[in-house]
Amino acid sequence: MADQNNNEQLEIIHEFINETRDIINDLEPTIIGMEEMTGQDLTDDDKETLNGVFRLFHSVKGGAGFLNFGQLVQCTHTAENLLDQLRNGELALSAEHVDLLCQSCDFTKEALDYIEEYGDDSGITEAANNLMARFKTAASDPAEPTPTTSPRSDELIIDLETPVQQLISAEDRQKFVYENSTIIKRIETNLINDNKKTAPKAMAKAVLTDITLFHENCHFLAFSELDKLTGIIMLVLEKSNNHKNILQRALNFIRELIEVFQESLDNILQYGIGHVYGLKMYIELFNNLLPPDAQIEVHTPPARLGEILIKEGIVKNEDIEQALSSQGRPIGEILVDKGLASREQVNKAVNFQKKLRPLTGKSAGCSKVPKRQEIRVDLEKLDNLINLIGEIVIAENMVIHSPDLHNLELDNFNKAAGHLSKIVRELQEMAMIIRMLPISGLFRRMMRLVRDLSRKSGKKVELQLEGEDTEVDKTVIEKITDPLVHLIRNSIDHGIGTPEERAAAGKPESGILRLEARHEEGEVQITISDDGRGMDRKRLIAKAMDKGLIEGDGSQLSDDEALQLIFKPGFSTAEQITDISGRGVGMDVVRKNLEDIKGRVEVASKLGVGTTITLHIPLTLAIIDGMLIRVGGCRYIIPILSIRESFKPDPSAITITPDGQELVRVRNNLLPVLRLHKIHNIEPDSRRFEDGILIILESREDNICLFVDELLGQQQTVIKSLSQYIGRQGEVSGVSGCTILSDGEVCLILDVQALVE
Amino acid sequence: MTDEIDDELWDDDEDTQKDKYLTFHLAAEDYGLDIACITEIIGIQKITVVPNMPPFIKGVINLRGKVVPIMDIRCRFEIEEREYDDRTCIIIADIKGTAVGLIVDQVNEVIDIPEERIEPPPESGGKSYSRYISGMGKVENKVKILLDINTLLFDEDIDQLDENNSKR
Repeated sequence: MADQNNNEQLEIIHEFINETRDIINDLEPTIIGMEEMTGQDLTDDDKETLNGVFRLFHSVKGGAGFLNFGQLVQCTHTAENLLDQLRNGELALSAEHVDLLCQSCDFTKEALDYIEEYGDDSGITEAANNLMARFKTAASDPAEPTPTTSPRSDELIIDLETPVQQLISAEDRQKFVYENSTIIKRIETNLINDNKKTAPKAMAKAVLTDITLFHENCHFLAFSELDKLTGIIMLVLEKSNNHKNILQRALNFIRELIEVFQESLDNILQYGIGHVYGLKMYIELFNNLLPPDAQIEVHTPPARLGEILIKEGIVKNEDIEQALSSQGRPIGEILVDKGLASREQVNKAVNFQKKLRPLTGKSAGCSKVPKRQEIRVDLEKLDNLINLIGEIVIAENMVIHSPDLHNLELDNFNKAAGHLSKIVRELQEMAMIIRMLPISGLFRRMMRLVRDLSRKSGKKVELQLEGEDTEVDKTVIEKITDPLVHLIRNSIDHGIGTPEERAAAGKPESGILRLEARHEEGEVQITISDDGRGMDRKRLIAKAMDKGLIEGDGSQLSDDEALQLIFKPGFSTAEQITDISGRGVGMDVVRKNLEDIKGRVEVASKLGVGTTITLHIPLTLAIIDGMLIRVGGCRYIIPILSIRESFKPDPSAITITPDGQELVRVRNNLLPVLRLHKIHNIEPDSRRFEDGILIILESREDNICLFVDELLGQQQTVIKSLSQYIGRQGEVSGVSGCTILSDGEVCLILDVQALVE
Repeated sequence: MTDEIDDELWDDDEDTQKDKYLTFHLAAEDYGLDIACITEIIGIQKITVVPNMPPFIKGVINLRGKVVPIMDIRCRFEIEEREYDDRTCIIIADIKGTAVGLIVDQVNEVIDIPEERIEPPPESGGKSYSRYISGMGKVENKVKILLDINTLLFDEDIDQLDENNSKR
């Protein structure tokens, strides 16, 4: 049992870590966005953004508090304090504050890594203290951190009349209701099934976990009545931990409340309002269970707009009643219309009302990036699923083309088979997109990078993002992160000039860095362009000569060839090596990384205008377009991307050099001929060129001709790696992997790069 | 958590699989393999040749979507090769997640050979195949040559494979 608890705990921690990482990823761009607000009065939108950031920190704190990660709670709490002061206008937002918030994101990330490894966060106290100290100097009146789960829940009063919940999309509401119904059901099952057997204490603990979850959820979406009710239940369960009788009574109450919760959730689903009928009574019921000194004061929140107005003595109760009876519009407007209150007074009251609910639901500030509904799946399971689907495709082929069916009239079978094929194809397509992720996560990480770099280098850079929702295979995203970082560093360090330099060149002070992703021609293109200095042909050549990368004075190079120089290993154009870039490991690494994933880099640059670098990336690493070829009894796949053309050679076009190398003349080029049957030791149909076919393969700038017996046709190829065991037995040259053909046979994929070399 | 469960299952297996050997026939002798590492036995099927492999690696096959390398035991022991026929079988063994197929002339049965009936492999100098042998099992009045699958497949230290696996 203890073990199981432990596992559950681990699971919860794991979930918390994942969720918090997501939150931090959401947070960073928003925080960076806050920089624009520095040095000016906050607009309502800005406040919303602050609220959004506040809320995210708050949810991290809630989770951390629940799991007893004290350092994390303290850090997020101080961040909250700072945000609170900013929000209330007590402090003017400055760049330092943004820095601090970024640092707290970093700290949170570190803490998560630490927690992931060691299970608690006690080892990072020093980092936490450092951060706190910095926060303290920044905040004028740093309040002492209170490590409670959600210290604000009791002070919060949110009115229901103007539905805060309008800000919550129907979708979120549905999700909320669904999630919490599950929680309630779980509580119910716990209570009913185990009531007699489990000790109240253990039961209370289990229920408390669920109630806390429920409470957090309600709190987050500002369903105040449920929030309060669950809040007090939590309090009772926590406080009366040692009183068996009270616990038992509380549990009994909770069991009766299940229906109430369910009803309230239904209401939320239907009307968006989580009204709890008899709230007061229930709260009192639980309140009475508390020891006298811990009881909370139960009061109805004076937060209705009408009530505020009455309290302020602006309007009379009857007027409100009257206005309410004709309500259909916001009450404020009605009162103004009726001349009962001035617009100013109502506005003031509305503002007051707003202040009372600083934690509104979803807001514009944090919903810039559309939320995806997703579930986390172990990648291995996913790969297994995709493998199985691949198997289905093969099995389907084997059934439909079974030799037993040959020459049979099978109308019904054919109809059913056609249907099956269609479904299988769809299934296969689904399998392919399942691994695809939007590139927005990667792009958003770059926002932070650009900000840090531009501050460090004293340059002003505006980052423009486009096509964030372009979907790319997960592995591809992992592989292009480093190249992208390199390229952005290069752009900021070498491309975009200092404000003075830019002003002198007649450009706006702040440089523009554009990051763009799009699908084109069956591949993903990512463009990084800046409006900076551009690359100077002369400097490139001088540099290359200096480093001994080219021979001669370079005048024979075309502009394009000169640009290609940056991809040479050991090339670096920075006059001085900064800590940002310029160690000479930049572009050649970028190129290599891209070649690893069968992509390529293109560069275009104009002196004084800017540089554009385009990454061409295959949609997925798992599938390529392949050409099936045959030599004797063996079949191979050649990636279509590397095939330039194929032709039946004319024997007269072949020249044989004295050392036996065969060359073929194609238009004005002489290309070396490689006989595949020789390389792989196969008995071909024929060794005569006129019986077979030549394929021109292209890799970088070099071309070769491959001689094979026959082209069998083009097909989508799912790449599999040859077994690791094979790799141990010998170097498999000229083969990059294998695939399984529709007849179930394994077929090798040729590695064109290796063949050319 | 899953590890624990796996371990438990493993323990169970170990108990029921202890001292059990799959025997197969190769050339003139009977051999035995500890069944703990054997996942299945399939008939011979078309093997795709992989270039630059040692002669005993015949190539790869598709085992329900998994690409499995195939070793011919005859070649491994440098016994004269013969045509595959319908008795030829591929024994699929799984060592720490790496599946390898072994081509044998004919699969016989699974038998119990208690530890006390197993004698240590014969000592012989020079280049010998006795390093692949874990023992000689005496069954009735016949002898089964018990093979050590680890050295048979990897020859070198299996730790190396382990390292590779963890790197991936």
